[in-house]
Amino acid sequence: MTVVPAQQAGGGGGGSSGLYDVLELILDRGLVIDAFIRVSLVGIEILKIDVRVVVASVDTYLRFAEACNRLDLEAGPRKAPGLPDLVGEITESGARGKSKGALSGAAETVSEAFRQAREEGQAEPRPRARKATSARRKEEQE
Amino acid sequence: MSTYVYGIAASSHPALPKDMGGVGDPARPVRILTEGELAAIVSDAPEGLRPKRKDLLAHQTVLSEAGAGGVVLPMRFGSVAPDDAAVTEVLAERAEHYLERLRALDGRDEYNVKASHNEEAVLHRVMSESPEIRALAEANRQAGGGNYEQRLQLGETVAAAVQRQEAEDAVDLRHALEAVAEAVSAGPESTGWLANVSFLVDHGAAETFLAAVEDVRKSHPHLDVRVNGPLPPYSFVEPGPSEPAETGPRV
Repeated sequence: MTVVPAQQAGGGGGGSSGLYDVLELILDRGLVIDAFIRVSLVGIEILKIDVRVVVASVDTYLRFAEACNRLDLEAGPRKAPGLPDLVGEITESGARGKSKGALSGAAETVSEAFRQAREEGQAEPRPRARKATSARRKEEQE
Repeated sequence: MSTYVYGIAASSHPALPKDMGGVGDPARPVRILTEGELAAIVSDAPEGLRPKRKDLLAHQTVLSEAGAGGVVLPMRFGSVAPDDAAVTEVLAERAEHYLERLRALDGRDEYNVKASHNEEAVLHRVMSESPEIRALAEANRQAGGGNYEQRLQLGETVAAAVQRQEAEDAVDLRHALEAVAEAVSAGPESTGWLANVSFLVDHGAAETFLAAVEDVRKSHPHLDVRVNGPLPPYSFVEPGPSEPAETGPRV
Protein backbone atom coordinates (compact mmCIF):
# COMPACT_ATOMS: atom_id res chain seq x y z
CA MET A 1 0.00 0.00 0.00
CA THR A 2 1.26 3.42 -0.89
CA VAL A 3 1.80 5.97 1.79
CA VAL A 4 1.80 9.56 0.63
CA PRO A 5 2.61 12.44 2.97
CA ALA A 6 -0.53 14.33 3.82
CA GLN A 7 0.39 17.60 2.15
CA GLN A 8 0.96 15.79 -1.10
CA ALA A 9 -2.28 13.88 -1.13
CA GLY A 10 -4.34 16.98 -1.90
CA GLY A 11 -4.10 16.72 -5.67
CA GLY A 12 -4.93 13.07 -5.75
CA GLY A 13 -7.76 13.44 -3.29
CA GLY A 14 -9.32 16.14 -5.40
CA GLY A 15 -8.95 18.76 -2.70
CA SER A 16 -9.31 22.30 -3.95
CA SER A 17 -5.87 23.23 -2.61
CA GLY A 18 -4.23 21.11 -5.29
CA LEU A 19 -6.45 22.24 -8.14
CA TYR A 20 -4.31 25.15 -9.24
CA ASP A 21 -1.24 22.97 -9.50
CA VAL A 22 -2.92 20.41 -11.71
CA LEU A 23 -5.10 22.80 -13.68
CA GLU A 24 -3.00 22.68 -16.82
CA LEU A 25 -3.06 18.89 -16.78
CA ILE A 26 -6.86 18.86 -16.58
CA LEU A 27 -7.09 21.42 -19.39
CA ASP A 28 -4.17 20.46 -21.64
CA ARG A 29 -3.60 16.77 -21.07
CA GLY A 30 -5.87 13.75 -20.95
CA LEU A 31 -7.59 11.76 -23.61
CA VAL A 32 -9.12 13.57 -26.56
CA ILE A 33 -11.66 11.82 -28.73
CA ASP A 34 -12.27 13.58 -31.99
CA ALA A 35 -15.84 12.33 -32.23
CA PHE A 36 -16.64 14.41 -29.15
CA ILE A 37 -16.74 18.16 -28.97
CA ARG A 38 -14.86 20.17 -26.34
CA VAL A 39 -16.45 22.98 -24.43
CA SER A 40 -15.06 26.41 -25.13
CA LEU A 41 -12.15 27.42 -22.94
CA VAL A 42 -12.77 31.11 -23.50
CA GLY A 43 -12.08 32.99 -20.31
CA ILE A 44 -9.28 30.73 -19.18
CA GLU A 45 -6.47 32.61 -20.98
CA ILE A 46 -5.65 34.43 -17.79
CA LEU A 47 -4.08 31.22 -16.56
CA LYS A 48 -1.44 31.39 -19.25
CA ILE A 49 0.35 34.46 -17.92
CA ASP A 50 3.97 33.62 -17.42
CA VAL A 51 5.47 35.01 -14.26
CA ARG A 52 8.93 34.17 -15.50
CA VAL A 53 8.91 36.41 -18.57
CA VAL A 54 9.81 39.25 -16.25
CA VAL A 55 13.24 37.71 -15.65
CA ALA A 56 14.66 39.46 -18.72
CA SER A 57 13.43 42.97 -18.12
CA VAL A 58 14.88 46.20 -16.84
CA ASP A 59 12.60 46.03 -13.82
CA THR A 60 13.97 42.66 -12.88
CA TYR A 61 17.56 43.77 -13.38
CA LEU A 62 17.08 46.66 -11.00
CA ARG A 63 15.33 44.49 -8.48
CA PHE A 64 18.04 41.82 -8.63
CA ALA A 65 20.69 44.50 -8.23
CA GLU A 66 19.00 45.78 -5.10
CA ALA A 67 18.56 42.30 -3.73
CA CYS A 68 22.24 41.53 -4.31
CA ASN A 69 23.28 44.67 -2.51
CA ARG A 70 21.29 43.50 0.47
CA LEU A 71 22.51 39.92 0.42
CA ASP A 72 24.85 38.86 3.15
CA LEU A 73 27.05 36.15 1.75
CA GLU A 74 28.29 35.14 5.18
CA ALA A 75 24.84 34.41 6.54
CA GLY A 76 23.96 31.48 4.28
CA PRO A 77 21.05 31.30 1.91
CA ARG A 78 18.18 30.73 4.32
CA LYS A 79 19.36 32.21 7.58
CA ALA A 80 18.14 35.35 9.23
CA PRO A 81 20.06 38.40 8.13
CA GLY A 82 22.95 39.24 10.42
CA LEU A 83 23.96 42.64 11.70
CA PRO A 84 26.16 43.62 8.72
CA ASP A 85 23.20 42.95 6.48
CA LEU A 86 20.93 45.19 8.49
CA VAL A 87 23.46 48.00 8.20
CA GLY A 88 23.58 47.34 4.47
CA GLU A 89 19.84 47.58 4.30
CA ILE A 90 19.74 50.94 5.97
CA THR A 91 22.31 52.26 3.52
CA GLU A 92 20.36 50.68 0.77
CA SER A 93 17.03 52.17 1.66
CA GLY A 94 18.74 55.55 1.85
CA ALA A 95 19.91 55.11 -1.71
CA ARG A 96 16.50 53.92 -2.74
CA GLY A 97 14.85 57.00 -1.39
CA LYS A 98 16.97 59.16 -3.66
CA SER A 99 16.55 57.19 -6.81
CA LYS A 100 12.96 56.14 -6.48
CA GLY A 101 11.15 57.06 -9.65
CA ALA A 102 8.51 55.57 -11.88
CA LEU A 103 10.75 52.69 -12.83
CA SER A 104 11.59 51.46 -9.37
CA GLY A 105 7.92 51.77 -8.48
CA ALA A 106 7.15 49.40 -11.31
CA ALA A 107 9.98 47.14 -10.17
CA GLU A 108 8.39 46.89 -6.77
CA THR A 109 5.07 45.92 -8.29
CA VAL A 110 6.75 43.14 -10.21
CA SER A 111 8.69 42.21 -7.12
CA GLU A 112 5.45 41.94 -5.20
CA ALA A 113 3.95 39.67 -7.83
CA PHE A 114 7.06 37.53 -7.85
CA ARG A 115 7.09 37.31 -4.08
CA GLN A 116 3.42 36.35 -3.97
CA ALA A 117 3.89 33.67 -6.56
CA ARG A 118 6.75 32.25 -4.57
CA GLU A 119 4.96 32.43 -1.27
CA GLU A 120 2.08 30.47 -2.67
CA GLY A 121 4.52 27.65 -3.03
CA GLN A 122 5.69 27.88 0.55
CA ALA A 123 2.67 28.63 2.64
CA GLU A 124 0.96 25.68 4.30
CA PRO A 125 -1.94 25.31 4.10
CA ARG A 126 -1.62 26.80 0.67
CA PRO A 127 -3.68 29.86 0.00
CA ARG A 128 -5.56 29.82 -3.26
CA ALA A 129 -3.17 30.73 -6.00
CA ARG A 130 -3.30 34.20 -7.43
CA LYS A 131 -4.06 33.04 -10.93
CA ALA A 132 -6.81 30.73 -9.81
CA THR A 133 -8.23 33.62 -7.87
CA SER A 134 -8.28 35.69 -11.02
CA ALA A 135 -10.07 32.90 -12.79
CA ARG A 136 -12.58 32.68 -10.01
CA ARG A 137 -13.12 36.39 -10.09
CA LYS A 138 -13.85 36.03 -13.76
CA GLU A 139 -16.45 33.41 -13.06
CA GLU A 140 -18.13 35.57 -10.55
CA GLN A 141 -18.40 38.34 -13.06
CA GLU A 142 -20.41 36.18 -15.33
CA MET B 1 -29.29 15.38 -24.02
CA SER B 2 -25.54 15.49 -24.59
CA THR B 3 -23.20 13.43 -22.45
CA TYR B 4 -20.17 14.65 -20.51
CA VAL B 5 -17.34 12.10 -20.43
CA TYR B 6 -14.88 11.93 -17.50
CA GLY B 7 -12.87 8.87 -18.37
CA ILE B 8 -12.69 5.34 -19.68
CA ALA B 9 -12.06 2.24 -17.57
CA ALA B 10 -12.35 -1.50 -17.89
CA SER B 11 -15.88 -2.74 -17.20
CA SER B 12 -14.23 -5.07 -14.69
CA HIS B 13 -12.99 -2.03 -12.70
CA PRO B 14 -13.90 -2.94 -9.11
CA ALA B 15 -15.01 0.47 -7.86
CA LEU B 16 -16.44 2.65 -10.59
CA PRO B 17 -17.85 5.83 -9.05
CA LYS B 18 -21.52 5.92 -8.29
CA ASP B 19 -23.71 8.32 -6.33
CA MET B 20 -21.21 11.06 -7.06
CA GLY B 21 -21.89 14.56 -8.22
CA GLY B 22 -20.23 15.61 -11.46
CA VAL B 23 -20.06 18.85 -13.43
CA GLY B 24 -22.87 21.39 -13.54
CA ASP B 25 -24.92 23.29 -11.01
CA PRO B 26 -26.70 21.42 -9.58
CA ALA B 27 -24.09 18.70 -10.01
CA ARG B 28 -25.18 16.11 -12.57
CA PRO B 29 -25.07 12.56 -11.17
CA VAL B 30 -22.23 10.41 -12.45
CA ARG B 31 -23.28 7.31 -14.41
CA ILE B 32 -21.49 4.39 -16.01
CA LEU B 33 -21.96 3.30 -19.63
CA THR B 34 -20.73 -0.19 -20.42
CA GLU B 35 -19.75 -1.56 -23.81
CA GLY B 36 -18.08 -4.97 -23.87
CA GLU B 37 -14.94 -4.90 -21.78
CA LEU B 38 -14.98 -1.13 -21.45
CA ALA B 39 -16.89 1.35 -19.34
CA ALA B 40 -17.22 5.11 -19.67
CA ILE B 41 -17.68 7.34 -16.63
CA VAL B 42 -20.19 9.99 -17.72
CA SER B 43 -22.92 12.35 -16.62
CA ASP B 44 -25.41 14.50 -18.43
CA ALA B 45 -23.70 17.56 -19.84
CA PRO B 46 -25.08 20.82 -18.46
CA GLU B 47 -26.02 23.50 -20.97
CA GLY B 48 -23.35 26.12 -21.49
CA LEU B 49 -20.64 24.27 -19.58
CA ARG B 50 -17.55 26.45 -19.05
CA PRO B 51 -14.21 25.80 -17.36
CA LYS B 52 -15.29 27.12 -14.00
CA ARG B 53 -13.48 26.25 -10.82
CA LYS B 54 -16.29 24.09 -9.50
CA ASP B 55 -16.55 22.11 -12.74
CA LEU B 56 -12.80 21.63 -13.08
CA LEU B 57 -12.77 20.37 -9.53
CA ALA B 58 -15.69 18.01 -10.20
CA HIS B 59 -13.88 16.57 -13.21
CA GLN B 60 -10.74 16.00 -11.18
CA THR B 61 -12.61 14.61 -8.16
CA VAL B 62 -14.59 12.06 -10.17
CA LEU B 63 -11.38 10.87 -11.83
CA SER B 64 -9.48 10.72 -8.54
CA GLU B 65 -12.23 8.62 -6.99
CA ALA B 66 -12.33 6.29 -9.94
CA GLY B 67 -8.54 6.16 -10.14
CA ALA B 68 -8.27 5.17 -6.49
CA GLY B 69 -10.08 1.89 -7.26
CA GLY B 70 -8.34 0.95 -10.49
CA VAL B 71 -6.83 2.28 -13.67
CA VAL B 72 -8.79 4.92 -15.60
CA LEU B 73 -7.98 6.82 -18.79
CA PRO B 74 -8.81 10.43 -17.88
CA MET B 75 -10.45 12.57 -20.53
CA ARG B 76 -9.31 16.15 -21.05
CA PHE B 77 -11.71 18.55 -19.34
CA GLY B 78 -14.78 19.45 -21.34
CA SER B 79 -15.29 16.44 -23.60
CA VAL B 80 -18.92 16.22 -24.60
CA ALA B 81 -20.54 13.54 -26.76
CA PRO B 82 -23.85 14.12 -28.56
CA ASP B 83 -25.50 11.35 -26.53
CA ASP B 84 -24.83 8.09 -24.64
CA ALA B 85 -24.95 6.05 -27.83
CA ALA B 86 -22.11 8.10 -29.32
CA VAL B 87 -19.98 7.21 -26.30
CA THR B 88 -20.59 3.47 -26.47
CA GLU B 89 -19.97 3.57 -30.22
CA VAL B 90 -16.53 5.04 -29.65
CA LEU B 91 -15.81 2.42 -26.97
CA ALA B 92 -16.79 -0.34 -29.39
CA GLU B 93 -14.81 1.09 -32.31
CA ARG B 94 -11.58 1.68 -30.41
CA ALA B 95 -11.87 -1.06 -27.80
CA GLU B 96 -8.52 -2.58 -28.62
CA HIS B 97 -6.64 0.69 -28.34
CA TYR B 98 -8.22 1.65 -25.02
CA LEU B 99 -7.74 -1.81 -23.56
CA GLU B 100 -4.08 -1.66 -24.51
CA ARG B 101 -3.69 1.75 -22.84
CA LEU B 102 -5.48 0.50 -19.72
CA ARG B 103 -3.11 -2.45 -19.52
CA ALA B 104 -0.09 -0.20 -20.04
CA LEU B 105 -1.14 2.17 -17.27
CA ASP B 106 -2.46 -0.41 -14.83
CA GLY B 107 -0.99 0.04 -11.35
CA ARG B 108 0.58 3.38 -12.19
CA ASP B 109 -0.10 6.97 -11.25
CA GLU B 110 1.00 10.34 -12.49
CA TYR B 111 3.04 12.59 -10.21
CA ASN B 112 3.41 16.15 -11.35
CA VAL B 113 6.46 17.99 -10.10
CA LYS B 114 6.87 21.74 -10.31
CA ALA B 115 9.92 23.62 -9.23
CA SER B 116 10.72 27.27 -8.84
CA HIS B 117 13.61 29.14 -7.32
CA ASN B 118 13.57 30.52 -3.85
CA GLU B 119 14.67 33.95 -4.95
CA GLU B 120 16.91 34.92 -2.10
CA ALA B 121 18.54 31.52 -2.01
CA VAL B 122 19.24 31.44 -5.74
CA LEU B 123 20.66 34.97 -5.70
CA HIS B 124 22.87 33.92 -2.85
CA ARG B 125 23.99 30.93 -4.83
CA VAL B 126 24.82 32.77 -8.06
CA MET B 127 26.66 35.44 -6.09
CA SER B 128 28.71 32.98 -4.15
CA GLU B 129 29.66 31.18 -7.36
CA SER B 130 30.57 34.19 -9.43
CA PRO B 131 33.50 36.46 -8.54
CA GLU B 132 32.33 38.80 -11.29
CA ILE B 133 28.92 39.31 -9.68
CA ARG B 134 30.44 39.71 -6.25
CA ALA B 135 32.82 42.37 -7.58
CA LEU B 136 29.99 44.26 -9.29
CA ALA B 137 27.81 44.07 -6.19
CA GLU B 138 30.63 45.23 -3.95
CA ALA B 139 31.41 48.17 -6.23
CA ASN B 140 27.75 49.18 -6.23
CA ARG B 141 27.49 48.85 -2.50
CA GLN B 142 30.46 51.11 -2.00
CA ALA B 143 28.89 53.62 -4.37
CA GLY B 144 25.77 53.73 -2.20
CA GLY B 145 23.89 51.27 -4.39
CA GLY B 146 25.44 52.40 -7.65
CA ASN B 147 24.00 54.59 -10.37
CA TYR B 148 21.31 53.45 -12.78
CA GLU B 149 23.78 52.01 -15.31
CA GLN B 150 25.72 50.16 -12.64
CA ARG B 151 22.61 48.67 -11.11
CA LEU B 152 21.36 47.66 -14.52
CA GLN B 153 24.65 45.98 -15.35
CA LEU B 154 24.71 44.05 -12.08
CA GLY B 155 21.07 43.07 -12.42
CA GLU B 156 21.47 41.89 -15.99
CA THR B 157 24.50 39.79 -15.10
CA VAL B 158 22.62 38.28 -12.16
CA ALA B 159 19.51 37.62 -14.25
CA ALA B 160 21.59 35.76 -16.83
CA ALA B 161 23.17 33.67 -14.09
CA VAL B 162 19.76 32.93 -12.58
CA GLN B 163 18.47 31.79 -15.96
CA ARG B 164 21.44 29.49 -16.43
CA GLN B 165 20.79 28.13 -12.97
CA GLU B 166 17.11 27.55 -13.85
CA ALA B 167 18.05 25.51 -16.89
CA GLU B 168 20.62 23.54 -14.93
CA ASP B 169 18.22 22.84 -12.07
CA ALA B 170 15.47 21.74 -14.48
CA VAL B 171 17.82 19.15 -15.96
CA ASP B 172 19.03 18.00 -12.53
CA LEU B 173 15.49 17.57 -11.28
CA ARG B 174 14.40 15.59 -14.28
CA HIS B 175 17.45 13.35 -14.23
CA ALA B 176 17.07 12.61 -10.56
CA LEU B 177 13.42 11.64 -10.86
CA GLU B 178 13.22 9.93 -14.24
CA ALA B 179 15.51 7.26 -12.84
CA VAL B 180 12.72 6.15 -10.50
CA ALA B 181 9.80 6.66 -12.90
CA GLU B 182 8.54 4.57 -15.79
CA ALA B 183 7.85 7.45 -18.12
CA VAL B 184 8.31 11.20 -18.22
CA SER B 185 6.19 13.89 -19.81
CA ALA B 186 7.04 17.56 -19.92
CA GLY B 187 4.11 19.55 -18.62
CA PRO B 188 2.64 22.51 -20.47
CA GLU B 189 5.07 25.44 -20.29
CA SER B 190 4.47 29.08 -19.52
CA THR B 191 3.01 28.85 -16.09
CA GLY B 192 5.88 30.33 -14.17
CA TRP B 193 7.93 27.31 -13.20
CA LEU B 194 11.50 26.47 -14.08
CA ALA B 195 10.39 22.85 -14.29
CA ASN B 196 6.95 21.36 -14.75
CA VAL B 197 7.29 17.65 -15.38
CA SER B 198 5.00 14.68 -14.94
CA PHE B 199 6.27 11.24 -14.05
CA LEU B 200 4.50 7.91 -14.39
CA VAL B 201 5.19 5.96 -11.22
CA ASP B 202 4.35 2.39 -10.33
CA HIS B 203 2.33 2.01 -7.11
CA GLY B 204 5.17 -0.02 -5.64
CA ALA B 205 7.70 2.70 -6.41
CA ALA B 206 5.76 5.65 -4.99
CA GLU B 207 7.79 5.81 -1.78
CA THR B 208 11.04 5.57 -3.70
CA PHE B 209 9.88 8.36 -5.97
CA LEU B 210 8.90 10.65 -3.10
CA ALA B 211 12.19 9.88 -1.38
CA ALA B 212 13.99 10.94 -4.56
CA VAL B 213 12.05 14.21 -4.49
CA GLU B 214 13.22 14.73 -0.90
CA ASP B 215 16.79 14.11 -2.00
CA VAL B 216 16.47 16.81 -4.65
CA ARG B 217 15.08 19.21 -2.05
CA LYS B 218 18.10 18.52 0.14
CA SER B 219 20.69 18.74 -2.60
CA HIS B 220 19.09 21.86 -4.13
CA PRO B 221 18.01 23.97 -1.15
CA HIS B 222 17.45 26.98 -3.42
CA LEU B 223 14.60 25.12 -5.15
CA ASP B 224 10.98 25.05 -4.09
CA VAL B 225 9.70 21.69 -5.29
CA ARG B 226 5.98 20.90 -5.30
CA VAL B 227 4.67 17.42 -5.90
CA ASN B 228 1.10 16.60 -6.83
CA GLY B 229 0.08 12.99 -6.89
CA PRO B 230 -1.01 10.35 -7.18
CA LEU B 231 -3.04 11.70 -10.08
CA PRO B 232 -4.95 10.03 -12.89
CA PRO B 233 -2.42 9.56 -15.71
CA TYR B 234 -3.50 12.65 -17.69
CA SER B 235 -0.12 13.01 -19.38
CA PHE B 236 0.25 9.36 -20.32
CA VAL B 237 -3.04 8.38 -21.90
CA GLU B 238 -1.51 8.35 -25.35
CA PRO B 239 1.51 6.17 -26.08
CA GLY B 240 4.90 7.70 -26.80
CA PRO B 241 6.23 9.33 -23.63
CA SER B 242 8.37 12.35 -24.31
CA GLU B 243 12.07 11.96 -24.92
CA PRO B 244 14.63 12.24 -22.12
CA ALA B 245 15.77 15.77 -21.38
CA GLU B 246 19.14 15.54 -23.11
CA THR B 247 17.72 14.42 -26.45
CA GLY B 248 18.02 17.18 -28.98
CA PRO B 249 15.42 17.97 -31.63
CA ARG B 250 15.08 15.31 -34.26
CA VAL B 251 15.79 16.10 -37.87
